[in-house]
Amino acid sequence: MKSKIMRFLIASLALLVAVSVAVFGLLAYSMSSRSAQTIDSVGAFYMSTTSDRLSKHFETTVVLRLDQVEAIIEACPPREGSQTALRSALVASAKARGFEYLALYSETGKFNMLDGSELAVTDPEPFLRSLNEGGKKVAVGSDAAGNSVVLFAVDAQYQMAAGEVSTALVAALPVQYVQQTLSLDEGDSEIYSHIIRQDGSFVIRSGGAYRENYFDRIRGTFDELNGKGADAYAQELEESIVNGEDYSAVIKINGERRHLYCTQLAYSEWHLVTIMLYGTLDKEVGNLTAYQMWAAFGSCGVILTLLLVIFFIYMRMSSQQMEGLKLARKEALRASQAKSEFLSNMSHDIRTPMNAIVGMTAIATANIDNPDQVQNCLKKITLSSRHLLGLINDVLDMAKIESGKMTLNVDQVSLREVMDSIVCIVQPQVRAKHQSFNVNIHDITAENVLCDSVRLNQVLLNLLSNAIKFTPDHGEIRLSLYEEPSPKGDGYVRVHLQVKDNGIGMSDEFQAKIFDSFAREDSARVHHTEGTGLGMAITRYIVVEAMKGSIEVESHQGKGTEFNVTLDLEKTEVQETEMILPNWNMLVVDDDQQLCESTAAALKSIGICAEWTLSGESAVKMVLARKDRPDEYQIILLDWRLPGMSGIQTAREIREQMGDSIPILLISAYDWSEIEEEAKAAGVNGFISKPLFKSTLFYGLRDYVHTETAEVAEPEEHMPDFAGVRVLLAEDNDLNWEIAEALLTDLGMELDWAENGEICAEKFKASPEGYYHAVLMDLRMPVKNGYEATAAIRSSGRADANLPIIAMTADAFSEDIQRCLACGMNAHVAKPIDVQEIARLLEKFLGRE
Amino acid sequence: MTLKECYAALGGNYEDVLGRLRAERLVQKFLLKFLDDKSLALLEESLEKGDYETAFRASHTLKGVCQNLGFSELAASSEALTEAMRGGKAPDMALAEAVKADYQKVIGAVSAYQAELG
Repeated sequence: MKSKIMRFLIASLALLVAVSVAVFGLLAYSMSSRSAQTIDSVGAFYMSTTSDRLSKHFETTVVLRLDQVEAIIEACPPREGSQTALRSALVASAKARGFEYLALYSETGKFNMLDGSELAVTDPEPFLRSLNEGGKKVAVGSDAAGNSVVLFAVDAQYQMAAGEVSTALVAALPVQYVQQTLSLDEGDSEIYSHIIRQDGSFVIRSGGAYRENYFDRIRGTFDELNGKGADAYAQELEESIVNGEDYSAVIKINGERRHLYCTQLAYSEWHLVTIMLYGTLDKEVGNLTAYQMWAAFGSCGVILTLLLVIFFIYMRMSSQQMEGLKLARKEALRASQAKSEFLSNMSHDIRTPMNAIVGMTAIATANIDNPDQVQNCLKKITLSSRHLLGLINDVLDMAKIESGKMTLNVDQVSLREVMDSIVCIVQPQVRAKHQSFNVNIHDITAENVLCDSVRLNQVLLNLLSNAIKFTPDHGEIRLSLYEEPSPKGDGYVRVHLQVKDNGIGMSDEFQAKIFDSFAREDSARVHHTEGTGLGMAITRYIVVEAMKGSIEVESHQGKGTEFNVTLDLEKTEVQETEMILPNWNMLVVDDDQQLCESTAAALKSIGICAEWTLSGESAVKMVLARKDRPDEYQIILLDWRLPGMSGIQTAREIREQMGDSIPILLISAYDWSEIEEEAKAAGVNGFISKPLFKSTLFYGLRDYVHTETAEVAEPEEHMPDFAGVRVLLAEDNDLNWEIAEALLTDLGMELDWAENGEICAEKFKASPEGYYHAVLMDLRMPVKNGYEATAAIRSSGRADANLPIIAMTADAFSEDIQRCLACGMNAHVAKPIDVQEIARLLEKFLGRE
Repeated sequence: MTLKECYAALGGNYEDVLGRLRAERLVQKFLLKFLDDKSLALLEESLEKGDYETAFRASHTLKGVCQNLGFSELAASSEALTEAMRGGKAPDMALAEAVKADYQKVIGAVSAYQAELG
C-alpha cells in the first residue's frame, strides 16, 4: 500500500519535473526564436530604409549630375555654325562642373570625345536603346586606360564630326566618385553595398568581392541557413531582380549572419545590393537569448525546488497522518475487540453464580420433600442470585467503569456476610475440582465496615474463581482475611484479603500486565481455560481507583499465585447485640494454628473459655483427660479435614469414649450437606461454616445453650417512641399513604399527607417554623417530583429549611441514591416501607437515641 | 378462605407483608383497599393515549403499592413494565398484558376473599 503510494508520488514528481523542463525549454526556445525573428524584421526594416536612403542618394547624385549635364546643354545649346567654339564651351562648362570626361554619343553608339580619353560603354545596347528613345541614362564604362567610369548621358543633338548628329551628350566621372559619394564601401562600417546589373555582373563592387558576377559570389560564399542553400538565394534574388521587386533575406557568410537587401536604382539597369553584418546585433541577441534561457531554466529550477520542498513536507505530513491513522485504527480495533470480549467475559462471570442457582434448583427439586434441604438450597440460591443481580448491575455500570465514572454504593457491610456468601458461591466449583479450600480469618477487630458489598464480593469472586480456574484438581486454595490498625486513623481499619493457591502460577511478563484489560496468559497450558481476562482489570479498578486500596500479586510458575488486597475501610458504629455466651469450657481442633488462636480469642471475647489443639489424636487425649472433672469440655469444635485422624473419625472416637452428652460441631469451609449424613452417623451434632467470625460463632453456638437460652433471648426489636414527632409525608398513592400512616402512627408520630411534590412544598411553607420535624418524600409524583419538592423546601429560606428529608422509592439504583443526596435529601430508603429502617434514620437525623 | 390462602391465590408473600405490617388486621384492611386503587386504571388510560411519562409513573406507583402489600407477582410484572418505560420509551405491550393478567389475578383473589367475609 505504502510503496504503491510512494511509486505514484515519485512517478508524478518525475512527470512534473519533465513537464516543467519541457515547458520552460519550449518557452525559452520560442522566446529566443521570436526575438531572432524580431531582430530579423527589425533588420529588414532597417535595411529597406537604409537601402532606400542609398538608392535615393544615388538617385539624387545621378539626378544632380544629369541636371549638370542638362545645364551644360542649356548653357551651350546645339547651334549651327562653328562647332569648335561650341565644343570648347561645352568642355569648359563640363570642367567647371567637375566632369573628367565629355563626349558626344552617336545614334550608332560611337563616342566623339570632347574631353578625356576614349570611352567605352560596358554594356552599350540598353544604353544606346534608351538614349535613342530620348531621355537620360546612367551607365558604366571604361576609358582608354581601362579605368571604370560612370557615364551620365542626356539627350542632345549636337553636330558630330562625320556629319552625324549626336543622340546624347555624355559626361563621365571615375567610378570612385560614385563609390565615395554613396559611401558604398566604408571599411569600418557594418554595411557595405554592391551595384550589380540584372545578370549579376558587378557595376561597383566593394568589400572583398573579386568574382565578376554577384550570383557566382552568392554561390561561392553563402552558407546554408535554415535549410536554404546558396543556389536558392541566388535564384530568389535573380527572380526578384527580373520582376523589378525589392528582395530582402537573412544570409550567412563565414558563419556570420548578415542581412541582404536588393533594390533597383533609378536611371539605370542597375541594382543596389546592400549587406549588413549582424555581428554586434547577433552578439546582443545571443546574450539576450542566453539570458532568457537562463532565466527560464532558473525560474524552472526555483519552481521545481519549491515543489520538491512542498512535496517532501507533504510526504512527511502525510506519512505522519498515516501513522496517526494507523494508531487510531489500532485503537478502534482494540476497542471493538474489547467490546466483544467484554460480552463474552460478562457471560462467563454471570455463568458462575448462574450455575449455582441451576444446580441448587435441581437439588431442591430432587429433595422437594425434605424441607431442610430445600431451605438450604433456597438460601444458596438467594445468595447466588444476589451476586448475579450485582453482576447485572455491573453490566449497567460497565460503561461507567470504562469512562472512569463508577460510583461506589457504600453502605454498612458485614465482613462475615461477605465471607459467608463468597464461600457459598465458590463451594460448588471447589468441589467440582476436588480442591482443598481453606478460609482463614484472624485479628478481626471490626466486623462491620463501610464498603460497597457488591464490589467487594466481585473482587473476591474474581480472585477466587481465577485461583480455582488455574489450580489443578486436588490443589489447594486459601482465602485469608485479617485486620490491623489503619494509618488513616482510629475510625478506620486496614483489611487484608489474601487469596493464595498452589496452581500453575504466572510468568513474570504476564504478572506485569495482568491488570490490563483483556489480558490472559497466552500459552498452551491455559488455552483450555475459559474467560477473557477482564476480571482482573475490573478488580484492579475497584480496589485501586474506586476503593483507594492496593492490590499486589506474587506468583511463580508451577508453584502458585498469591494476591494481596489491602483496603482501608471506615468502621461503622453498629449497635451490635451483646454477644455473650455462658462460660463454657470449649475445645477447638484445627490443624491451622493461626485459626485456632484467632478462634480461641474470638470465643474468649464472647465469654467462652476456649482451648485448642492441632490434631484429632491430641484432641481425643485432651477430652479424655478431663472426663468427669469439673472443667470437662462442654462443647467441641472439630475441623473436618485434619491430618491423620479426620474430624469425623475424631468425633466417632470421642462419642465412643464420652457418650452423647457433649455437643460436637464440625467446622469447615465446605458444604455441610455433602458430609452431613456421615457426620451425623459419627455423632456430630451440627456444623459451623468457616470463616469463623465472632458473630458466626455466636449464632452457631447459641442453639447449644439449652437451658441457658433464656438469658440470650432474641434481641428486642428496637422500637423507639416518636411521640410528638410531626412528619410530612409526600406520596401520591392513597394506599401507600395509608400503609405508611398505619405503620408510622404506631410509633407515635403525627403524619401529614401531601398528595404530590407541589402540595408537599406548599404545606411545608404554610406551616409555622419548626412545625414539621422531618419529611418523607416519594420520588415519583405528579405535578412536582420528589427532587423538585426537595429543592423547593431547601431553597425556601426558612430557618427549618434544612430539616431531614428522607427519600422513599422503589428504585434502588445507586444513581438514584446519588441524585437524592445531590439534590439535598439526607437519606434514602427503598420501598416497600420498612418501619425499622425509617425509624433508624429518623432517630439518626432527629438526634434521638 | 384465610388471608394466607388469599395471598397464595394472588401470588403474594404473606409472611413478608405480615412481617412488615405486623398485624393481620392491617394486612386485611389494606388488602381490601387495594380494590379501590386507581393506579392500573391510570396506567391503562395513559398507555392508550401514548403518554408514557404518566404511564411510567403509574406503573411505578403500582409496583410500590404491590411491594408494600407483598403482591410479589404483580410487583415483578409491574417492575418489568416500569423499567421498560424508563426514560419515556414505549414499552413492549406484552409486558402491559402481563401486568393486567397479574392484576386480574390479584383482584379476583381479593374479591373472593371479600365475598367470603360478607
